[in-house]
Amino acid sequence: MDKKRIWEGLRPYVLIAPAMAGIMLFVMYPVGYLIYLSLFKYNLMNKDKSKFVGWDNFTQILGRGDFYRALWNTTIYTAGVVVLTMLLSLLIAVWLNKKSRFNSVVQAGIFTPHVVSIVSISLVWLWLMEPNQGLLNYVFKLVGLPSSAWLQSSKTALISIIIVSVWQAIGYYTLIIVAALQSISPSIYEAAALDNASKFKVFYKITLPMISPQLFFILIIMTIGSFKVFDTVQVMTGGGPNNATTTLVYYIYGFRTTNIGYSAATGVVLMAIIGLLTFIYFRLLSKKVHYQ
Amino acid sequence: MKSKWYSLLSVILLFSLLAACSGGGSGETGEAPGGGGTEAPSGDKGKTTVQFWHSLGGKNGEYMDALIQRFNASHEDIEVVGTFQGSYDETVTKLQQAIASGTGPDVSMLERAYVQMFADSEVLEDLTPYLEGSGISVDDFTPGLMGHSTFNDQLVSLPLNRSTPILHVNKTLLDELGLQIPTTWEEMKEVANALVVKEGSEYKRYGVTMPYDTWYPIAMISQAGGTFFNDDHSSIGFGDNGAGTKMFAYLKDLQSTGALYYPPAQDSGNIVNSMFVEGKVGMMYQSTGSIGGLSSTVDFDYVTAFLPKDEVYANPTGGANVTMLSSSKNKEAAWEFIRWMEMEEEGGLEFILQSGYLPFTKKMVESEKMQALWAKEPNRKVAYDQLEFAVDTNKDVAWPEIMHEFFSAIEAIMYDSKDIPATLDTFKKETERILAQ
Repeated sequence: MDKKRIWEGLRPYVLIAPAMAGIMLFVMYPVGYLIYLSLFKYNLMNKDKSKFVGWDNFTQILGRGDFYRALWNTTIYTAGVVVLTMLLSLLIAVWLNKKSRFNSVVQAGIFTPHVVSIVSISLVWLWLMEPNQGLLNYVFKLVGLPSSAWLQSSKTALISIIIVSVWQAIGYYTLIIVAALQSISPSIYEAAALDNASKFKVFYKITLPMISPQLFFILIIMTIGSFKVFDTVQVMTGGGPNNATTTLVYYIYGFRTTNIGYSAATGVVLMAIIGLLTFIYFRLLSKKVHYQ
Repeated sequence: MKSKWYSLLSVILLFSLLAACSGGGSGETGEAPGGGGTEAPSGDKGKTTVQFWHSLGGKNGEYMDALIQRFNASHEDIEVVGTFQGSYDETVTKLQQAIASGTGPDVSMLERAYVQMFADSEVLEDLTPYLEGSGISVDDFTPGLMGHSTFNDQLVSLPLNRSTPILHVNKTLLDELGLQIPTTWEEMKEVANALVVKEGSEYKRYGVTMPYDTWYPIAMISQAGGTFFNDDHSSIGFGDNGAGTKMFAYLKDLQSTGALYYPPAQDSGNIVNSMFVEGKVGMMYQSTGSIGGLSSTVDFDYVTAFLPKDEVYANPTGGANVTMLSSSKNKEAAWEFIRWMEMEEEGGLEFILQSGYLPFTKKMVESEKMQALWAKEPNRKVAYDQLEFAVDTNKDVAWPEIMHEFFSAIEAIMYDSKDIPATLDTFKKETERILAQ
């Protein structure tokens, strides 16, 4: 009997053990190793040549202008992408909310960019944004607008990348919001109609609170995703011109051959920043989210 | 009873997971798969496999594959397996990871500027004894190309696909305007400005261009009498003597009148090449590696010339060397491959003739085939002749890391017109910090 009781107590742990082993190996261990690496001037090829430097990598990060530049770029990028994508997908979703054949065609069209690989998208936009032969400047000239240097000027490069990311992301988030909108019970709207509520008030007092869990989810997912942006930068600008589009992950990537310890330390800092952001979101915003 | 089965199942799952994860760690370079004959357990009959990583794609990759095939056909007991690993930088990244996990190749191509970094980590084999054993002397090689081959008195690499920057000229365009090929910075300024065609606010034709790279500024620093690092490698050698400021001020001056087109960083090599082919720019600083491609596509009189001099003629070298990794288990076979590739006529010479890289041994230069090719295509000879002025002053273990910073300085000045002395001062401080580590 005693044996059985011990087993009863152990069983849940044994059952989650395989999954935990996976998490340990593929999540915990790499994170631990990252932190370990961040304390070294690490020589990947010859461990004996590695030097323990303690917090040196971190003091160096915090004392370097280009790190703050990358952090600033990432913040602007994230803010731009999150705000623009949320607003636009919300607008489009509200517009597409009525079930009609035309709407489903539009929805499929908007969703298409999400299916295409981001690398292909970046390459296509790279051509569109070419200052001399690109389509965008050609159209601008036809309409009589001044042409832009797009990716080739440090003033416009970051906003150009934001445009591409927003264009790619809108469809997916529109889909999520449309699904959320359609799950709202019509009886609530009927009640509001009886009370003669204005359209704006209905949207503000009913629609938004009802879809707030989905919006909150999008906000967190997108903030984390945008903070880790890499592909578009790698393909379209390589972090340039003059570091105008160097984001944190690209900054980490830049040191991959020469200083893996410094890269690792920056990775730890990035992890801390994203952790902090997520924590703040949960503390501040989760109270405003309305779960049914 | 049932619970027992559960526990057994979990334990099995757990162990299989652990086993799956630890399995990949120990790869033996020696017993590479493939090669047909290796399955036979008898040691005397099996072929030795030599893994060779390189960075040559496209046409040059085909020439390299042909070289490997020629080697395998002439060697019964050795099989070389060549693997294209992407660009020079990608190859370096992959090599670092492979060496860290003990799965590196036996022989690898290595971009010359990374040789010092690898040698410092003690992962490259000293080739001196092998060279002696085969009766080869260091003097057999083209001196201008040996700059990156030695490290702390060890010979850690030999030249393979080497190139150097050179001036490519649209002679037809220059002749139309009655201009001579420039040989000095002053002449370059005049000729480049004379080539400019401006309509409204748009430049229809530029004078000269160059890819986005550290190579060309470094060439110009040496031409202006500076060196990249100072003598004791504690700082830069073009700050206080003004060479850096002079070089960048010169480039900015050209850029301001359209005499210089400085391309965007991404894909800059292809951009400048196509501009040159289309006649949108009259002259171009570019690698000797593009001579072959350009001469087959241009429809004008195309010639090459020395890079214009300021105080002196000077040019860095580029391209990649071949190295043997210390972790190799088949060093004898690996050396035979390197020796054959470097010294035999049907090895390296054939490859050099096809690809247009620089001949790297004196024997190659003197060979009939080389001389015949030069007589037919003098453009290629110019590149070799320019090696007389080859000087590599950016040789240091920390160069790859400093290169990163130098690119930032180039971008700040060339794209954002930041103040030159201030930018160079920041760069100098960063360099000193890195060198002090």
